[in-house]
Amino acid sequence: MFKRIQTGNLVKTFIFFAVIFYLGKVFDPYNQGQLSVVLMYFIGILSITFLTGLSGQISLGQGALMAVGGYTCALGILNLGLNYWQSIIFSVLASLIAGWILGITAARLSGPYLAGTTLVIALAIPSLANRFESVFGGDVGLNVEFGAPPQWFVNLIGEIGFEQWQLFATLPFASIALFFALNLFKSRTGRSWRAVRDHEIAASLAGINVQRMKIFTFVVASGFAGLAGAMYGLRGIVGPSVYPISLSLTLLTGAVLGGLRSIGGAFIGAVLVVFLPDLIESLSGTWEIAPQIGNYLPAMVSSILLILTVVLNPAGIAGGLHHRKPRHK
Amino acid sequence: MNIRASLSRKKLIGLTAVLIAGSMTLAEIPANAADPGVSASEIVLGMQLPETGPASPGYNKVDDAMRAYFDYVNSKGGIGGKKIRLEVKDDTYKAGLTISTASSLINKEKVFAFIGSIGTQTHISVIKDINRRKIPDVFVNSGFSDFYNPATYPTTFAALGTYVTEAKIMGKYLKEKYADKKIGILYQSDDFGRNSLEGFAKAGLTFEAKKTSADFIAGTQGSVGLASQLTQLKANGVEIVIIAAVSSATAVALLTASALGYKPDKWAVISVGSDATTFQTIAGSKGIPASMSAAMLTGLISASHAPAPGDSADEYVTAFKKINDDFNKGADKRWDNNVMQGMNIGYMATGALKGTLNPKSTFSAKNNKTCQANAKKNILTRVCFIDYIESNGSNIESAAFTALQYSATTHEAFSGFWIGAYDAATVLQPVSGTRVVYTTDSGNGPVTVSSYKRPAIAADALPKN
Repeated sequence: MFKRIQTGNLVKTFIFFAVIFYLGKVFDPYNQGQLSVVLMYFIGILSITFLTGLSGQISLGQGALMAVGGYTCALGILNLGLNYWQSIIFSVLASLIAGWILGITAARLSGPYLAGTTLVIALAIPSLANRFESVFGGDVGLNVEFGAPPQWFVNLIGEIGFEQWQLFATLPFASIALFFALNLFKSRTGRSWRAVRDHEIAASLAGINVQRMKIFTFVVASGFAGLAGAMYGLRGIVGPSVYPISLSLTLLTGAVLGGLRSIGGAFIGAVLVVFLPDLIESLSGTWEIAPQIGNYLPAMVSSILLILTVVLNPAGIAGGLHHRKPRHK
Repeated sequence: MNIRASLSRKKLIGLTAVLIAGSMTLAEIPANAADPGVSASEIVLGMQLPETGPASPGYNKVDDAMRAYFDYVNSKGGIGGKKIRLEVKDDTYKAGLTISTASSLINKEKVFAFIGSIGTQTHISVIKDINRRKIPDVFVNSGFSDFYNPATYPTTFAALGTYVTEAKIMGKYLKEKYADKKIGILYQSDDFGRNSLEGFAKAGLTFEAKKTSADFIAGTQGSVGLASQLTQLKANGVEIVIIAAVSSATAVALLTASALGYKPDKWAVISVGSDATTFQTIAGSKGIPASMSAAMLTGLISASHAPAPGDSADEYVTAFKKINDDFNKGADKRWDNNVMQGMNIGYMATGALKGTLNPKSTFSAKNNKTCQANAKKNILTRVCFIDYIESNGSNIESAAFTALQYSATTHEAFSGFWIGAYDAATVLQPVSGTRVVYTTDSGNGPVTVSSYKRPAIAADALPKN
């Protein structure tokens, strides 16, 4: 996939790890929990960045692939007795397989047909959970969590809260995902995906197997979504109401707001969709907005921002920042 | 040197004494210090529920009613001089969000206890964490019996009778009354629906899948609809249709059946889904006038653990209705089952808090001395609050017609229901003219007539705990 690992990417990843780790030490427990959700969404949005931003395929069902990861992780822990990190690896493998199957179908579809297909898959998750209730736990779902931190870790950094452990347990996976994404962006594979996105026929004439490349994109994106879903479920429960259709739309909103074609955009988008409701809540509290209006404000503000982004700045925040950079001659 | 040494020794002894006394005082602090969410002037309680979204109709009135009752209590001086503040978070009935809203209530709002949370599916996602942190999780608005085993969830207590209990009582009535009729069920395929099926089975009422039994996924009633399920029941000649679903689904079912021309002899609806106001509001939004929706409700059978909101002769209804009129600042304060339930939870919570701060209260042998000492000092702790509720379940007053069952072995709430049918004015009236309250358990115990006599409400509508 990528033959050369760039030192710069290693440094970026290390800085990312260090900054988040520091924030995890100084944030209060609530914001530690929110920051861990940012990391989970970041990985999930990266899957959309690959799929839509890099290779031009639209998916409205990333939440379903997250569910694949979540359920596999939960079943690994509950039925196979795996610990959470073993189970996360297991769930990424299952998601890669699910992505491969979905990719075979997706490679034959494009535009609204592909979006519709992925949407239906996202809608089917609750039905499957109920149809095979003895396995998936129906609407009640499956109770899993990160558990307690290992003693060596407590000895290393001191007493650790539930939310803080959730963040620190997520951070290595988010860092690996970031490192992988940074390298992928600049690799031959990344360039091939962009070529497919920009002009399929031209890409084909350049020797790229378009069908195979589309399937491959789905596989990689599914792996990321599965990883995000596994960790999202480990917050307490894996069930249909954890991976609703709105989760897929939230990830897509984050990707568009942050910038569909950039890794930084994925992170900015994740921060926005997680912290925007908190910001609005604190503002609505200051302005004494009635709850019946305040309850709908986050969704309304997100929608307005989404419309403004699409109309005024389609490249998203990261794209806008990129264009503002002075160019070196 | 000796003198200096002696003085030093004296100083040392004095210092040691001070340190020992100090450390003893400090050691006392954890037992006597108030927990998060409690100050000299305030008690902060937290609640999460679907304020918005498809599951919200009707249920989003419960928090406003609870707040209205607490505002009333505050207007009377609060509890031990402490005002109650209710912090509410909207989880839109999505478990992924519930985890964040619970974290916000715990870590940002620093609530003393969770109270009256609504949503079985959503509460499952946080119940383990809340219990692990030893935070009281009281008067949960769910009849899911798995929540109320103290061995699993020691801090969680119910506000409703279990779905199994209610279905057992309703099932016995329907089986005896309509022995010659074909009875079927429409249920949501979750723990609520399945618990209800279990209760009906215990009453000897079983159903045939795909014939007399139809299910749907909760939340899809608005988007997918219930036409196929009702067509199935109609095609199989079901004459009595039981509905075990939330209010919005009941409304969709009744309206869809009307559109299909399906008129079963009777509808029988589990109480959490049978609120008349919610049904009429949803029907009204579809252009159906109130007179017509009232006619659709007339004769519908349901059950209740408390008086019907329309029972103007009931002293609790009168008192709560007045408080609602005077203190409810919610967007929709129309008096109905949801508002009544919110008021009753406010009333029970007030009783439990008062009781915990009453030096004359009795606690478990393990905590009695500490909790009585705390009460004398007007110190409220989570341990004593939970202990009081568990040890004094039957003494916590409520509008219900059976006592709270809380004990060291169960945290289920009410064991009794009465069966009624809606009249033309959409008031639930006892089916036999006079109200008969039946009681049973969530197991295989018999259904019997309750002899419980509900205590009268005080003139100031404050519990006497």
